Amino acid sequence: MGADTSDLSLVHRVQRGDKGAFDALVLKYQHKLVKLVMRYVRNPAEAEDIAQEAFIKAYRALPQFRGDSAFYTWLYRIAINTAKNAVVSRDRSPVEYGLDRTSGDESYDMQNRLKDSETPEGLVLTDEIRSTVNAAIDALPEDLRTAIVLRELEGLSYEEIAAAMDCPVGTVRSRIFRARETIDRRLREVFEGGLGRAEELG
Amino acid sequence: MNEELDSQLSAMFDDELPSQECELLARRLSRDGELKSRWGRYAIMGAVIRAERGVRLNAPLAGRVSAVLLAEPSLAAPRSVGLRRTGLRWWQPIVATGLAASVAAGCVLWLRAQSPGPALTAEVTARPAPLPDVVAVTAATGTNTPAGSYVVPARSKKPLALVPTTELANYVVAHSMFSSPVARRNLLSAFMSSEPAGAAEELPDAKAAGR
Repeated sequence: MGADTSDLSLVHRVQRGDKGAFDALVLKYQHKLVKLVMRYVRNPAEAEDIAQEAFIKAYRALPQFRGDSAFYTWLYRIAINTAKNAVVSRDRSPVEYGLDRTSGDESYDMQNRLKDSETPEGLVLTDEIRSTVNAAIDALPEDLRTAIVLRELEGLSYEEIAAAMDCPVGTVRSRIFRARETIDRRLREVFEGGLGRAEELG
Repeated sequence: MNEELDSQLSAMFDDELPSQECELLARRLSRDGELKSRWGRYAIMGAVIRAERGVRLNAPLAGRVSAVLLAEPSLAAPRSVGLRRTGLRWWQPIVATGLAASVAAGCVLWLRAQSPGPALTAEVTARPAPLPDVVAVTAATGTNTPAGSYVVPARSKKPLALVPTTELANYVVAHSMFSSPVARRNLLSAFMSSEPAGAAEELPDAKAAGR
């Protein structure tokens, strides 16, 4: 299977004017991108802002994307450059990001942003999602758990997993799908309750 | 949602779906909210398995990006150009035809400008043909009938525009047995009528041969 096939399908749709396809790309890569950006900035909220900016830059530059490299490689380059620029900009603007609280309440206050991004409710929900997924993975049959972990943690292709597990590629695809479905059933319950709670919190 | 579709979605998430199926599913994914939510949860599972600490798994990042992009011009801008091109396509053949016609007309005008012109032609027509200066050649058929004899133009030292060369006339005469008399006559008549006066005057060899 050609790598990046699904991304290219979505990219082509975006290039033809389908913004909904870009949502799918954002959903797929948002966590990876935030994790990447957090190598440059420590604050999760700032990392999200930079990731958001990177996604928007990527969207605007997408007409020039020819598919010479994988989409995520291209996206990661944009995110790294955006993060580096943000760091340089922050270093040049000590007042904006300074910890001197006497500089005025109207100035951008990173400490407040840090508090906003890590509200107890938000952290609880994130922890709840994490614990739910982990519990669901632990409860998976061995063959399903191995398949999904090899895929998500090790990044192996279906063919490589098939070789490792000594089974056909079709079986790998089925195992990974069933693992995801099992986890998703648990996760959906959390989201339906948790997201509603988050909305109430504003 | 059927199981086959979910299975395809899972494979597509892993870049393990054939490209043709990807195209179809990508279209559906971009429109189907439930499918998109499931896709997003698949991403969350991966983030948890990879223990991406510090990442808010419930962050509304996708929603924020989507909201910003609502105000963005669509990447369909090139498409609108394409539509405009499509709209213009109906008159493109007309323009092309007009262009071709103007080029052809230009060529005709240029050729006419290069030819001896009506004044010279009239002068040639008015003057009696310098009969002593041309060579009467009996056709290879051997007959002495008027239809069988031809006039070979004298070789001119001056280059003449659009006038067949003497070699061509000689060639025609030499191969006359392979062409019809009418064709030969037409060609040579045309040749004679385009020959400027005095062109054959400077051909002593031709005079000698005529005698």
